[in-house]
Amino acid sequence: MYIVVVGAGSTGYYVASLLSREKQEIVVVEQDEESAERVRRDLDVGVVVGNAATPRVLWQAEVQRADLVVAVTGVDESNMITCFMAKELGAKKTIARVRNPEYSGYLLVGGKSHYAPRKVVRPKGLGVDLFVNPEIEAAREIVSILSGLYATPIEEFADGRVQLREFKAESAAVTGKRIQDIPFPRPCVVAMLGRGAEMRVPATEDKVEKGDRLYLIAARKDMDELGAIFEMPLRSPRTVVIFGGGTIGFHVAEALEKRGVQVKLMEKNPARAQELSSKLKRAVVIQGGRPDRELLVDEGVAHADAFVAATGDESLNILAGLVARDVGVSRNIVVVDEPDYIQLAEAVGVDVAMSPLLLCGSRIAHYVLHGGAESVALLGNEDAQAIEFVVASNARISRHSTGELEWPKQAAIGAIVRGDTVLLPTETTVVEPGDTVIVAALLEEVAAVERLFKAP
Amino acid sequence: MSIRVVFKYLGVVLAVLGGLLCFPLLWSVTIAHDGEHLSFLVPIAIALLGGLAMFRFIPSEERSLSRREGLALVTCTWVVGSVVGALPYYISDTLSSFVDAFFETMSGFTTTGATVLTTVGPQAPSILLWRNFSQWIGGMGIITFFVALFPMLGIGAARLFEAEMPGPQPERLRARVADTARALWALYMAFSLVEFVLLWLVAGLPFYDAMNIMFGTMPTGGFLHIQESVGAYMDQPFVTSVVTFFMLAAGANFALYFYALRRRQLGAIFGNPEFRLYVGIFLVSSIAVAVNLVSRADVPVGEAVRHAAFQVASIQTTTGFATADFDTWPSLSRCVLLVLMLVGASAGSTGGGLKVVRLLVVVRYAFREVVAAFNPRAVMPLKVGGETVPEPTVSAIAGMAALYVLALVGGTVVMCALGLDVVTAFSSVAATVGNVGPGLGGVGPALNYAFIPDLGKLVLALLMLVGRLEFVTVMALASASFWRWR
Repeated sequence: MYIVVVGAGSTGYYVASLLSREKQEIVVVEQDEESAERVRRDLDVGVVVGNAATPRVLWQAEVQRADLVVAVTGVDESNMITCFMAKELGAKKTIARVRNPEYSGYLLVGGKSHYAPRKVVRPKGLGVDLFVNPEIEAAREIVSILSGLYATPIEEFADGRVQLREFKAESAAVTGKRIQDIPFPRPCVVAMLGRGAEMRVPATEDKVEKGDRLYLIAARKDMDELGAIFEMPLRSPRTVVIFGGGTIGFHVAEALEKRGVQVKLMEKNPARAQELSSKLKRAVVIQGGRPDRELLVDEGVAHADAFVAATGDESLNILAGLVARDVGVSRNIVVVDEPDYIQLAEAVGVDVAMSPLLLCGSRIAHYVLHGGAESVALLGNEDAQAIEFVVASNARISRHSTGELEWPKQAAIGAIVRGDTVLLPTETTVVEPGDTVIVAALLEEVAAVERLFKAP
Repeated sequence: MSIRVVFKYLGVVLAVLGGLLCFPLLWSVTIAHDGEHLSFLVPIAIALLGGLAMFRFIPSEERSLSRREGLALVTCTWVVGSVVGALPYYISDTLSSFVDAFFETMSGFTTTGATVLTTVGPQAPSILLWRNFSQWIGGMGIITFFVALFPMLGIGAARLFEAEMPGPQPERLRARVADTARALWALYMAFSLVEFVLLWLVAGLPFYDAMNIMFGTMPTGGFLHIQESVGAYMDQPFVTSVVTFFMLAAGANFALYFYALRRRQLGAIFGNPEFRLYVGIFLVSSIAVAVNLVSRADVPVGEAVRHAAFQVASIQTTTGFATADFDTWPSLSRCVLLVLMLVGASAGSTGGGLKVVRLLVVVRYAFREVVAAFNPRAVMPLKVGGETVPEPTVSAIAGMAALYVLALVGGTVVMCALGLDVVTAFSSVAATVGNVGPGLGGVGPALNYAFIPDLGKLVLALLMLVGRLEFVTVMALASASFWRWR
């Protein structure tokens, strides 16, 4: 697959490095010579220096034969123009990062009468197939974590019938046991095991150590019960303190407020604080930007159900999360930029660290699929993927079990959805045409797995 | 830096080399029947088994290489590869001293073509084939070959590739380095095949001769299986013109061919400023040498033109074939050839030397300093072909040129200390650093390097490697801070 990534900022760099690890052919277009040099030095990709919103540069990047164009410069308008022109030149699919939510929705243009507004300009007309907005994605993810029973993120497959959820092995029911001996209350598959920076597909006799991350695949109805052996179910929060009133902070506050949660939003900049308080209905906006104990105690963080740190400065966020934990908050969620910091932060006492970059990469990965994959989620620190396939009747794997095929070692089938039933497969389960199959695999094995779901 | 990772991958490269050694072995067993199979079986066993064992048993993760590891791996590959490649000469007793065998192999792999064989010809055909085949491998680079075969290294491959490809900044023709290496090898093989077919089927040379000439031409090597070099074919103008053409083709930037083929515009090659200067140097030098030969040595005009064109192409592309003993030519001709040795071929070619594009930049750089002396406020970006050369590249080129001069001076002093006369000492150093082969005086085209003391041979072998890998790669390993901050 030939992919053109426009913009070598942190998102562009991350997307390019992620895709180049999957052995795709990638060209990065970047205007700034220094950023271009960094990409040239550190990644196995082609580099074109120039402004991508001009046909000459796009032509130089051979956008006409691109299967995908990902425009992730810092300027919304430039991204959209790039996608528009790339589409005109012949690119198959385009993705634009657009921060301004007004662009990515339908544009409303007045109809004949004042009362009949019409939707006229669709994103497709702009030549953009997918809008990604890392900040909005992050805000959505935070809200979804906060409204769930457990502190960890969740991925849904097969229209929500199957869930994949990450749990930390900390309770006595799990640690020190072999996987086959863990008393799971409901059927499930341990698809991946993360220990430190390493991810692998575990064998049933592998021992689980304290601090391991287990990636469980199970039917949705069973997931909540399964979680009980890992941690105490949390009650959904009634009071949340958000530190940092940027895009993420504002959108989390707005969404939580709609769900009837009491929100306290802390923002450093007085003007922005004013603006936030006028935009939000019930949330309390506090002007203050240093995460010191005194301020947090004063504002009642100790009694809040959750604390979200979402300023633009990742180190400040981690620090704030730690101070909040120290003060006594029960759940803390922290936003970081660099995906590498997620584990570090979670190791020192942050419940969930999340990176908008990673979410953005996950969204883009959806579009880089071939071989009939329906949906994709990145697991852990971007080292593994969970992929949903619909089995075609001429696929290699069709009417076979994994035991019969050369199934890649570092990949596992987590669940098979046949009609309305969710099957948890063993080595001998035969995959039938029309099944929806959820596979977890290390990034390096993804190509081998995809091959099995294609026609021979 | 992890030495283990370096040695682990060195194992794979060695195994590849073992595979390549099978070619002369097969030739020896099936066609030549010269009884030299043991001379090849031993190094093949060492390279294949040792290499795979190194890969299998050195405990280290398989990962992408860091910059330092890349530099170390490339240098180690060339040195260890030359030791293994020297075994056939040593075991077959073609060369009784191992230093000689090492010199000959390094000369082959670096496409220098400087020989210690006093007469070429009586040796076993498979040994001579290995001698020529080794230059063909070295021409596009064994690391580049390895990168093309094993795309597992990721970005580490780019570091290896850049350390081995000649030129200021190797161009990535394709987005991925492994694809780039494959494209280059494909072009190289295509050129080789065309030349071979022209010599074998059109010119009617025997299969073995045509193959050996091709193995000497395409990498701009200079070894041949006969003592008289290409001089033996002087009565066949078609052969000498085919060889001249392919020497010149191999001395130009392969990236130009790639883009010309891809965009289907052959004319685009001539728009490249380096290529124009390269052709210009060839034409001007050929005419100068021909006129000099006619006026000073009373050579007939036709013969003078043919000798001049062939010899200029041979020295300029750093091949080192000879149709005549140019050491006996008038001094202007000798001087022109000596200068051509120093300038060398184009960047991104299989040739050696300083490279034409660097000369272009260095000369403009020098003139810019002159203008800056009387007009200090002038802003003068350095342009080549209408495009500004970035200042970091300019300073890298100036640094490389300085290292080149230092190597020439230092090498000459060492060779003089070992008892060589000044002309022989200087030209031997110029001919090895520039990967040319024959020099002037005692190392002229009719003579060889056998008389030089062992220490001198090792110094020259080192200079060949330094010249082939363009200084920085090898010299980085010699600098203290490379090891201090590992």
